[in-house]
Amino acid sequence: MATLAAFFTVFTHPELFALVALGTFAGVYVGAIPGLSVTMAVSILISFTFSWDVMPAIALMIGIYMGGVYGGSRTAILLNIPGAPAAIATAIDGYPMAKRGQAGEAIGITTTMSFFGGFVGIIVLAVAAPFVSNFALTFQPRDYMLLAVLGLLLVGSLAGESLVKGIFCGALGLMLGTVGMDPLTFTQRFTFDLPLLQSGISFIAVMIGLFGVSEALSQLHHIDKTPVRQAISRIVPSFATIRKHLPLSLQTSALGVLIGALPGTGGDIAALMAYDHAKRVTRNPERAFGDGAIEGLVAPETANNAAVGGAFIPMMTLGIPGDAVTAIMIGALFIHGLNPGPMLMVEKPDMFWFIVGGLVLANFCMLLFGLTGIKLFVKIVEMPRAVLVPLIMLLSIVGAYAVNNSITDVYWMLGFGVFGYFLKLYGYPLGPIILGVILSRLLDDNWRRAIISERGSLPDFFLGLVSSPLSLTLFLAVLFIFFSQTPPWKRWRGRREALRAKADPARPAAATGSEGGR
Amino acid sequence: MKFAPFVAAAIAATLALSASPSQAQQYPTKEIQGVIQWGAGGSTDTVMRAVSPKAEDVLDQSIVLQNITGGVGAIALNKVASGKADGYTLLMGAENPLLYKVMGLGTKDYSDFVPIDILARGTGILVARPDAPFDDYKSMIAYVKAHPDEVKFGSTGPGGLPSVVTAMIESVEGKLPVTFVPYDGDGSALTALQSKAIDVMPAVLGAAIEGIKAGKMKPLAIIAKEPADQLPQVKPITDANQKFAKFLPWGPFFGIFAPKGTPKEAVAKLQDAFKQAANADSFKTLMKNRGFTLMNINGDEAQDFMTKWQQNTTWLLQDAGLTKASPETFGIPKP
Repeated sequence: MATLAAFFTVFTHPELFALVALGTFAGVYVGAIPGLSVTMAVSILISFTFSWDVMPAIALMIGIYMGGVYGGSRTAILLNIPGAPAAIATAIDGYPMAKRGQAGEAIGITTTMSFFGGFVGIIVLAVAAPFVSNFALTFQPRDYMLLAVLGLLLVGSLAGESLVKGIFCGALGLMLGTVGMDPLTFTQRFTFDLPLLQSGISFIAVMIGLFGVSEALSQLHHIDKTPVRQAISRIVPSFATIRKHLPLSLQTSALGVLIGALPGTGGDIAALMAYDHAKRVTRNPERAFGDGAIEGLVAPETANNAAVGGAFIPMMTLGIPGDAVTAIMIGALFIHGLNPGPMLMVEKPDMFWFIVGGLVLANFCMLLFGLTGIKLFVKIVEMPRAVLVPLIMLLSIVGAYAVNNSITDVYWMLGFGVFGYFLKLYGYPLGPIILGVILSRLLDDNWRRAIISERGSLPDFFLGLVSSPLSLTLFLAVLFIFFSQTPPWKRWRGRREALRAKADPARPAAATGSEGGR
Repeated sequence: MKFAPFVAAAIAATLALSASPSQAQQYPTKEIQGVIQWGAGGSTDTVMRAVSPKAEDVLDQSIVLQNITGGVGAIALNKVASGKADGYTLLMGAENPLLYKVMGLGTKDYSDFVPIDILARGTGILVARPDAPFDDYKSMIAYVKAHPDEVKFGSTGPGGLPSVVTAMIESVEGKLPVTFVPYDGDGSALTALQSKAIDVMPAVLGAAIEGIKAGKMKPLAIIAKEPADQLPQVKPITDANQKFAKFLPWGPFFGIFAPKGTPKEAVAKLQDAFKQAANADSFKTLMKNRGFTLMNINGDEAQDFMTKWQQNTTWLLQDAGLTKASPETFGIPKP
């Protein structure tokens, strides 16, 4: 009974209700601007809400968080600039849809799927939090490393036509990620003794440059063409569409919750992995991936919103942040006199249910704010290019500056913008660069931790790899995904299909084995 | 785009709350920038964001906080040090800059600043995973010596609290045959402790309190001369070996600094404002809950504290072979 009362707190108190709604609304826009991050917004709110009670403060933060994670998809679809790293995968198929005049439909799908993913995350948080957090704690450095390797294999999905160019870009990204002071040993890497390089290259600046500025420059090629008219008749996806993608969205949501719950990995990695998963399991997409496949929107958007619920799991059960935003919320709880930690759920279960309730409300608000105002938004894409291009540039510069209030980041951003433009021109995919930068730390840190823990012994490392069930599963997954894409395996698959087709003529053989290069 | 009115409204609201017309031309006449050396959500960030609102009330001006991270805080420190010394830009930092010179991280440190307020000091604690084969400091040392290189210690890079605590232990007990696994902060290292990736972690008390209360970590010793209020049952490390007494009390600290050359009136006003702010009950409670010892000192007292801290710590690190340059080079005498 007390649980129910706590759960419904946000619904029965008008001011809390309003704060969640306001937060979600603001979050959608903060998330949509590249460079303005949810992390930043929430940390500003800490000072802003200092004198408030704990509940209104948390209510506002929850709203911003939920709205912000969703908001990143807006600019990804409309302008090909992901508002946040978690929306990179969304741009791959969302932007081609906008280019064809289906921006409204893309945003509609994205919104409903974010809502769906958000719900799965909340449900898992509500019913299985202790279970999931215990599972997350079984991940050793070795397992995080394998997860990063698994992530690196996504280069295949993101590479487009040429795998070699994809691998080149992925490697470049990995290298960019190592620049700066190594956070584990404070050794300088690739800094050439320049103070400017000491703190590394801000990967948000790289992302904004590669996607935003390079897009603006490419647009200049078509400066005199009239923009595509956007059809805005179909915004809310039909029930049939949702049902068709239900199995995929359930799988990618589950993936999102788990990746979100792991301390050290968040919505960005979850969304990319989900995209890869979609590409692997979807046999016959209506359109090819990269050309506006619905599945390419469903997967990352369910996963990154499911990761929100996931990130709260270790925070509420153990006091360990699931990502940067929950880390700040832990600070907020401290300031307001609560002691986040393993005892919080025992001593203050009401707080837990209050947060769950807040998330549910924020999720509904997100759906509402997401589906309204689309008509106005898609007008952005219909603007003449002479207006759109400067707008993208402005947005990129403001965004890059806002990350660290540093003009250096703006230079980096512009530099990578020009570089990205030429890469694009010569058919190099940009996605793998960002993938490399995101995974660089995860891979590097955890590989070193893993091998140091084994006192530098490679045999011991491999023994550990095969003796722990979790590591073994991840290791086999890496091997399977790798080898299943090699030519000998594909030939074998093809022969088997042909044989089966001969034995059972009713079953068409063409349905499998043609999924295309990873 | 759409966010501009929102941000403008937020700023306007902040200003409206705190900026009633101030008296004629007396410091402060405009908003003050607070540069936090560490990222959002970290302990320095939390402490500074908690103390600032009260100081804003006293100063009758808003304090705009921003996090500038990187280079173990050196980027923020250099930025503030090279800015105008007019009292409108403050550095909100932790103990790390006192080690920059010997660690080769920079040429500037707090000697280029005037301390406004040293707010609080942390205490170290040695924790182990709950099923570790030892229960206190003495049995840990015995186990480590009997099983060389087997026990995994978490570390956070040279100069961090774990490296200093480890240097103290090695200075007292001799070389420790353990494997150091590096993490990027004590938060992630304590997570690793709970998932059994490491066995022992020297951490700051506040980060470990809740885990210890819930039985997720086992306390071995407090790095202090007397037990902590928050965990009275945990024995101080001097109980096991009196030789630790000469290093203690030791702990990371948080402070607010203005560049050298800031006008005296401004310094005095800021010192007064932050003194009052740190004296507020809500701040005291926060410090206690997070396991910090309130200091709230300024002027010569703060200067002396830092001088002593720098001497002790740099020489400990020097003797442990962790420095890039000897403290002697910078005129830091051996304690």
